Amino acid sequence: MSTLAVATLHQALRKSFATLESNQKVWKSVLAECSPLMVSLGNLAEQSRALSNVQISNTPLRVFPDLEERLRFKLLEATDIVLGKLNEKMSSLQSARDAISNQVAAILHLYEQNTHSLDLLAVTERSTTTPSVADMLEWLQDAERHYRQQYPFLSSVLDVYVIFWYFFPLTLVFRFLRRKTLLQTLRADDLSLLESAPQRWNSLESPSAEDHITDTLCKVSFFVESQ
Amino acid sequence: VDEVRITNRKSAAITGSARKIKDNAADWHNMMLRWDRLNEDGFMAAASIVNMRRSCSERSAAAQQFFIASTLFLTTAPCVKTSCVTSFLVSRQAAVVTKMDRLMTSQRGVEDLEAFQFGAEGRKTPLFHSWSTREFGEISQVLLDSFRRELLLKQTILQEVAHTVTSDLCMVFLSGWLHQPFIPTQSRLRLEALLLETGHRPL
Amino acid sequence: MEPLRLLSVDPSDRGSQRCRLGPGMMSALGVHLGSPLLVSVPGGSCLCTAWPRADLAEGFLQMDLKCFSPSLLSQLPSHLSLDPAQVSPVICSKLKGVRITVIVQSVNFRKRTPHRLVHELVKDMLKGVCVHDGFVINLEDFDTEIKYVVIESISPESDSAGFITSKTAVEIAGIQTLRHYRSQLQDRHTVQLGGLEEVSASLREMLKLPLLYPSTLSSLGVSCPRGVLLVGPPGVGKTLLVRQVVGEVGACLVVVRGPEVVGARPGESEEALRAVFERARSAADEGPCVLFLDELDSLCPRRTSSSAPENRLVAQLLTLMDGMNQSDRFLIVGATNRPDSLDPALRRPGRFDREVIIGAPTLQQRKAILSVLCERMPVCPSVNLTELAQTTTGYVGADLSALCREAAMHAIREDSKCSGEQLVSMKHFHEALKSVRPSCLRSSMGRTELSPVTWEQIGGLDDVKLKLSQSIEWPMAHPEAFVRLGLCRPRGVLLYGPPGCAKTTLVKAAATSSNCAFLSVSGADLYSPYVGDSEKALAQLFHQARACAPSILFLDEIDSLIGSRSHSQTPNSVQTRLLSVLLNEMDGIGLKTHERRGTEKILQAEGVEESHTPEQLDCQEVCNKDVMVVAATNRPDCLDSALLRPGRLDHIIYVPPPDQEARLAVLKVCTKCMPVGADVRLEDLAAKTELFSGADLENLCKEAALLALLDGNMEASDIKHTHFLRSLSKMSSSLTEQQINKYETPPR
Repeated sequence: MSTLAVATLHQALRKSFATLESNQKVWKSVLAECSPLMVSLGNLAEQSRALSNVQISNTPLRVFPDLEERLRFKLLEATDIVLGKLNEKMSSLQSARDAISNQVAAILHLYEQNTHSLDLLAVTERSTTTPSVADMLEWLQDAERHYRQQYPFLSSVLDVYVIFWYFFPLTLVFRFLRRKTLLQTLRADDLSLLESAPQRWNSLESPSAEDHITDTLCKVSFFVESQ
Repeated sequence: VDEVRITNRKSAAITGSARKIKDNAADWHNMMLRWDRLNEDGFMAAASIVNMRRSCSERSAAAQQFFIASTLFLTTAPCVKTSCVTSFLVSRQAAVVTKMDRLMTSQRGVEDLEAFQFGAEGRKTPLFHSWSTREFGEISQVLLDSFRRELLLKQTILQEVAHTVTSDLCMVFLSGWLHQPFIPTQSRLRLEALLLETGHRPL
Repeated sequence: MEPLRLLSVDPSDRGSQRCRLGPGMMSALGVHLGSPLLVSVPGGSCLCTAWPRADLAEGFLQMDLKCFSPSLLSQLPSHLSLDPAQVSPVICSKLKGVRITVIVQSVNFRKRTPHRLVHELVKDMLKGVCVHDGFVINLEDFDTEIKYVVIESISPESDSAGFITSKTAVEIAGIQTLRHYRSQLQDRHTVQLGGLEEVSASLREMLKLPLLYPSTLSSLGVSCPRGVLLVGPPGVGKTLLVRQVVGEVGACLVVVRGPEVVGARPGESEEALRAVFERARSAADEGPCVLFLDELDSLCPRRTSSSAPENRLVAQLLTLMDGMNQSDRFLIVGATNRPDSLDPALRRPGRFDREVIIGAPTLQQRKAILSVLCERMPVCPSVNLTELAQTTTGYVGADLSALCREAAMHAIREDSKCSGEQLVSMKHFHEALKSVRPSCLRSSMGRTELSPVTWEQIGGLDDVKLKLSQSIEWPMAHPEAFVRLGLCRPRGVLLYGPPGCAKTTLVKAAATSSNCAFLSVSGADLYSPYVGDSEKALAQLFHQARACAPSILFLDEIDSLIGSRSHSQTPNSVQTRLLSVLLNEMDGIGLKTHERRGTEKILQAEGVEESHTPEQLDCQEVCNKDVMVVAATNRPDCLDSALLRPGRLDHIIYVPPPDQEARLAVLKVCTKCMPVGADVRLEDLAAKTELFSGADLENLCKEAALLALLDGNMEASDIKHTHFLRSLSKMSSSLTEQQINKYETPPR
């Protein structure tokens, strides 16, 4: 009875690891696509900061009294477009993460249904090619947690703007007006947060962040292939 | 579709004022496309000037007193060259604006003709779908004004960019060049409306 | 089962809520992978999910603190061993809903981030977590601005713990900053204050009304008080009082200490002060807030004409206080022990509207303080707090706490010698009383070291002793009797008589037996080359004496100190000015508002039940709030007559030179600790020493002892009568008949 349950679980685990692998690829590629967007976001912030630092009336541009306001608006528009694209990427990330979460939740549920026929010995038994069920469940949980931890962090990188463009689906004009006032009230510290966004983003893409997942996939590769 | 150059297909269906206005609309579209290309090239050139100046000032700050003269000569030479490129591009943009001005004049001519033909209240039936003749002129005027101001900005920046040392101001120059603050986003929409009305784009 | 060793969590498990156990332990508990467990550790408990250790070893426990009781927030348990019984499985069902408070890092995030975004993020983070009612969820592993979540309540309410799924409704009750939350947690463990109930009640009311019910006040058209000034001598517990009341009200406290604000560069201090106000304002957004300016006098001294940097700081504070509007829901509390040195502009209504005066504790208050202090000490039941309170006149709260600490130290020292039960007894308190002196008498110019002198150490003078104890001791010991007969306590006592007749010693004995603070001053203490300094010093002395009343202020050699207006050649000399200060102070004119102590009690002469102890204590308090001035002189004729009229030095006691009987008593006292030979006839000596003063007699005995030593080559074992006679023959009396006759006529 125990072996049957273990076999069922093994089958489900194989499927879960396959899901994990495919979604890891999606995650990585989406993150890579985000990088140039983050760079332009940082550039735009830098331009905004430069505009705030310069007193137009003291420069040769003083013949254009409305220049500052117009340029600000243009920068805002450009930022909005970049953020719009980033938002699309974020939803792809979110769906990758949700796919992993759902898979892990399903397998834990399956385990819980079978607990009566699985004693701890069966769960913790490992061989050279097959890790124990407990180990594999743990790795899946860890992977799921990793993506869940990454996602809010990513969105918090974007917080400063995201809140105004993502959570307020108002009419186009109204949105622009709103953001216009936002940019006028933005202080230097917010801009610096935005300027640092690309660096913070890049810190995520360091290979070590995903290493853990890749390690896990290596560890189970024999198991997954031993169909 | 924007990228495709709109050509004036000779069609026998329209003549006179309508023909003139339709041709003007196509010219507006082409002028704006040309302006945008020139603007992009100009931005590249201006950006390289700023970058050169930046590295130049860093180098001269690092260099010994002894070498200053020579390094200045070495670094300013390419600078001067790019400046020439930029000013050439801006003069081309100026030419575009002059052509736009000419379009405007011809538009006024059409309006004057209409006024002579139909009196103060204007034509009874619209030339194309719904716009009155005056509305074409208004749109052209708005577009022309914005490009004129933008050209003035470009010219001002061109004069100053090679002599500016503060990095913030350089950044504002570049960002002003790139984002074209005086050409509002709606300009494109206006042009599209014009193209729709004149039948260049299918309704 | 063997105890479990608690190890720190593995880094890879951080945020997983796992609790790593051996598989054997898991089987014993009957749990499977991911079953929720409640682990009790000292100071709190933690909810986590069971998971086998990777090495499958038994006897260890590693848990990730994801969900734990708030008390563990500040102190996380480190290496310790646990009894397996402290780990128990819990049933966690899926939760329908959960109500939470979100704890975020920065004020900016709290203010700017829309509720929706917070809600979305938190909901996402909480998914899959087992929570327990009232516990804190750690979300730091997500590395966002949201640090913790406090579970306020869960639904269904019948469960105490549960599991959050994506279908669980998450309701955010509020968003707080981490700083605010921590300060609230801390405030729950404040110490109790004794004897300040009335002051703290009034302060609490002042804090509560505007902070908690601002709308009620505004509907009544009453503007809330903005500032409260606490005035009182150092050590009475001003700072502690504010902390305690603030903790009770549940307000957030922003403390400003002078040196933190004052900076070296011009403008720096003002900027720091503005920043503090800004901090209070933002804290007030989250709930009631109190801005506490401790040692206000150092921050805002009286402005001088010169452009001192303090002037600008005072101006800045005034501006800031005026700039507060009704929407700023925070209260400013200032504390000072020198209200007179504050800038007067600060003390007008609209700034510090109210002034709460905390005086040195009265007898009742001291008793309350002592009982609070002794609550946490193993005190012997024989310790009489009332008696202790009576003996600690002039002690403020800080002194009493030092006293208790000292007494406990004595007890510990004694215990280290012989290990017995650790109880602090009265003996230890008496020991401690010797080393801990009241702080209001520190830095006082009056000598306060009082070597205890008992009445028995003074020979003879029985009627003088009686009179003295009548005027000093009785009113303190039996106030109710005085009240019953409508007697009021004498204001002052003048002792006069020839020099060397034990006037000073008598006063010391009176002070010792009456257990009150004793200040003594001589001319040298008061004289100063600067005009006005002496008068100020004398007034200061009275101030101190009042602060630790009941007290005895002893002016020795008052004739040299004060003199008389009629005898004086220069009418405006220091002596005459001192005299006027003394007269004023004795009439009670110099009393300042901030010297007020306790609440005013009016004593009713009728209906005072003697058996009732608290009332008796009240009675003592009311009757003994004055300072007893005792003066001594040997030239009563030099004194100003104004000083001698009733109401000032109204008891005038003549201390005569000892007569034969008294001389015998004095000799007996003097020779008490001398090995006197059997042949010594003290009566004989007493008869022969006519006109000898007490001091002379003491000298005589000493001389005799020295002679005995001289004769016996340092080996004399006793003093013979001849030694006394030889010593007598060398000495002559210091008094003359004429002198004594002059004293016999009363000075008035």
